[in-house]
Amino acid sequence: MRAALAPTLLAPTLLASALVALSAAPALAQMKQPGEPAFRALFKEMVETDTSVTTGSCTALAEKLAVRFKAAGYADADITLFSDPAFPKEGGIVVQLKGSDARRKPMLLLGHLDVVAAKPEDWTRSPFKLIEEDGYFYGRGTFDDKAQASIWADLLIRMKQAGKPQKRTIKLALTCGEETTYAFNGADWLAKNRPDLIMAEFALNEGGGGRYGPDGKPQGLAVQVGEKTVQNFWLEATNPGGHSSVPRPDNAITDLARAVVAVNTHEFPVQFNDTTRGYFTTLSKVLPDPVGPAMQRLLANPADTEADRIVSLDPTNHSVLRTTCVATLLEAGHAENALAQRARANVNCRMFPGTDPNALKADLDKVIGNPKVAISLKPPIRPLYKAPPLNPAIINPMREIAAKHFPGVPLAAMMSTGATDAIFISPIGIPVYGAPGLFLDADGNGIHGLNERIRIDSLMKGRDYLTELVLALANK
Amino acid sequence: MRHVTTALLAASIAVPAAAQQAQLRPDQQAFRALYKELVETNTTVSSGSCNLAAERMAARLKAAGYADADIKLFPGPAERPLDGGLVATLKGSDPKAKAILLLSHLDVVEAKRADWERDPFTFIEEGGWYYGRGVSDDKAHGAIFTDTMIRLKQAGKPPKRTVKLALTCGEEGGPFNGAKWLVEEHRDWIDAEFVLNEGGSGKADATGKPVSLAFQAGEKVYQDFTLETRNPGGHSSRPRPDNAINELAAGLVRLAKNDFPIILSDTTRAYFTEMAKLSDADTATAIKALLANPADAHANEIVSRDPGWHSTLRTTCVATMLDAGHARNALPQRAQANVNCRMFPGESVEKVRGQIVERLGDASITVTPRASENPKEAAPPPPLSPLVYGTAVALAGKHFPGIPIIPTMSTGATDGRYLNAAGMPTYGMPGRFGMPDGNGVHGLNERISVAGVMKERDYLFDLIVAYAGK
Repeated sequence: MRAALAPTLLAPTLLASALVALSAAPALAQMKQPGEPAFRALFKEMVETDTSVTTGSCTALAEKLAVRFKAAGYADADITLFSDPAFPKEGGIVVQLKGSDARRKPMLLLGHLDVVAAKPEDWTRSPFKLIEEDGYFYGRGTFDDKAQASIWADLLIRMKQAGKPQKRTIKLALTCGEETTYAFNGADWLAKNRPDLIMAEFALNEGGGGRYGPDGKPQGLAVQVGEKTVQNFWLEATNPGGHSSVPRPDNAITDLARAVVAVNTHEFPVQFNDTTRGYFTTLSKVLPDPVGPAMQRLLANPADTEADRIVSLDPTNHSVLRTTCVATLLEAGHAENALAQRARANVNCRMFPGTDPNALKADLDKVIGNPKVAISLKPPIRPLYKAPPLNPAIINPMREIAAKHFPGVPLAAMMSTGATDAIFISPIGIPVYGAPGLFLDADGNGIHGLNERIRIDSLMKGRDYLTELVLALANK
Repeated sequence: MRHVTTALLAASIAVPAAAQQAQLRPDQQAFRALYKELVETNTTVSSGSCNLAAERMAARLKAAGYADADIKLFPGPAERPLDGGLVATLKGSDPKAKAILLLSHLDVVEAKRADWERDPFTFIEEGGWYYGRGVSDDKAHGAIFTDTMIRLKQAGKPPKRTVKLALTCGEEGGPFNGAKWLVEEHRDWIDAEFVLNEGGSGKADATGKPVSLAFQAGEKVYQDFTLETRNPGGHSSRPRPDNAINELAAGLVRLAKNDFPIILSDTTRAYFTEMAKLSDADTATAIKALLANPADAHANEIVSRDPGWHSTLRTTCVATMLDAGHARNALPQRAQANVNCRMFPGESVEKVRGQIVERLGDASITVTPRASENPKEAAPPPPLSPLVYGTAVALAGKHFPGIPIIPTMSTGATDGRYLNAAGMPTYGMPGRFGMPDGNGVHGLNERISVAGVMKERDYLFDLIVAYAGK
């Protein structure tokens, strides 16, 4: 996911309407003893197939999955392998499990096959080998997004094997390019070229989940309703350069370094919207002093810097409260023995919904305060993402089933701090929700970083939860 | 030469352009033919052959009477067979007198015919100039030194000292460095009490009037360091308080802000003493104050405004390359910078590393010297001895009356670094005056004044004869 999770709690105000009692799905009984060995084998194949944009192939993984779907009984007509000829390794797959009730609209399960690049020399363990250690699965993609994508694929296989269809048609789309802004994006391609394949009343996606506290116990579950949007900027400093034996007083790398320090240490102002206000309100009531009371003060006065300081000690809170910008790439110079003529940084901003990228550029200009550092918006500049409605027909089952699987763990609607493929699927009229169920550790599990991992217990419990949730939503 | 001379950044030529081909003495005509042949032999790393240039010079030396045993032609290594050179020896009459070595490099920087106005490998005389790649760097010296060896042989009576000539390849950054190879593998071929090399370059004012001659004694030592920060990284939507890029960037800002301490050697002290005489009153006062008290911050501020002087006064370390991050949407796990240092002669790599660490002020930034040929303890600058320096000054008074000769330390490097490090003091010879545009050295349309190079030849011949002794 390009999203990062917020700690989550139940937001009761969002769930005021009573939940229609969940009716047992016809095939549910048979699936109480899910085939865990088969799921593990599928998960292992998912993780061990390198799908990074640099060295991997999503197409290869999509083809492996197609073999599994066929073996489970899917007809060729229900399986669509797709790819753009210009990006032969960045293919994906759409699978359809036909429902029994034609009057009901389909639902879509969305996941991405691709993973962030991982350099083996930087990792402690091989990133493309599924390694089980101390209750964790290690490997690139074990969380993002091959955990949920594997659960979706496994679920469609089991439902087919169970024989009896659900009421709704269930569609599964596993795509490539989610992690790489400039890569071919399979979700975008489907929305533009094959909307028929994926059209649905709503979609479940990554971006929600759950979070363990520092004590390792479940702290909260989240359904993602809305997300921050991404905007990348180039900072560029130029200089006539020259021979490095005679340094000049002005220097492109020093100009850039100053600008990067200024951007990285700048704090954008605190903002709230309905989702985050509800989220922090709920959280403030249960968190102990000093964090809970500080949240309440901050809700009352977003300019309360001392309250902000306390709440923002948690990096996720910090990011949910504001636009953030951080330098993620640097490149400068053309030779060891020459003064740099150009130094560049990519600054990755996560804009609070409603932020105009050009206004943000003007803010960055002010923060840097050096006309020698040029700032430019990097395409794509996407339209503002519209948050889906807080639909009780979706949120209530999520909460009800969570109460059964994770008793005592609250569930909240939240805005995620990063972006997912929801930004491509939403414009064709499919509200996308980030499903709860998979818990992150307090340290973020190395997602996009080193030694990515998932608690095996969390993966299996998340699978059980999501199975029941999908069945419930498919038969409502 | 790869070096950039200190503040003696080239001014204009002393000699006004002549309208037609210069009238030459017979000995100068012979020199011109040799020089022409050397320049017209392509010795670039991409398409040239240093071997061919060495063979052509060897043929001329033999024609002048050198025995086969006095000339060692050596090829390059198996992967660069054409990167060879030669060593020639003229045995001295006094077995107790130590040898002197004339060192010059045959190789030249690349030159594209399409970019030049004239063919870079045709020796062209036009308007009082010789044009061609290498006419200045370094084939003027190569031709003058070879011509000197020929004239000394033809004179019949050998000088007291043995005079050696080494013409090598790879100085301009080629993969095989002949000077280094000779020092390491055949020290006996080139062993000498002191070495005459490129690296001295004079200065003229804007009207072309010579201002000063430069006698290069010592050069700064090149050393790259890799700076690195690491971080667990994570998703860029959730910035963490610690950040590899930020820590590296903040460290580099501090490094750029904090100059290294001032160091003065005999050479640079003499250099600044001379510069004070040539400077306006305020600058002269600042230079004198700084020489009296290197800790004088105000004086330093004034003198260091000139980037060349700034670099002559201290070790400099400047970040030249950055590389950080692995994805636009991920917090960096690693950030790296190359910091290029020009170490003051006598400073060790380990000491400079410590000075970088101190300036970075952040123990999480690792600082690792990159592989280099530099010795652990850098060689101090060659001494300004009465024999070597005093003789050069005395003869300059005869050949270039009224023009001061200024000891200089180069801020860049020549092959002298290998010989200095091996204990053979190596000096960059004066005699040439640079143009404001650098005479196209390493660039387009490299050129040298006809009258200027002839004067330089006369001066260097007399100087070598004086060094070698009668």
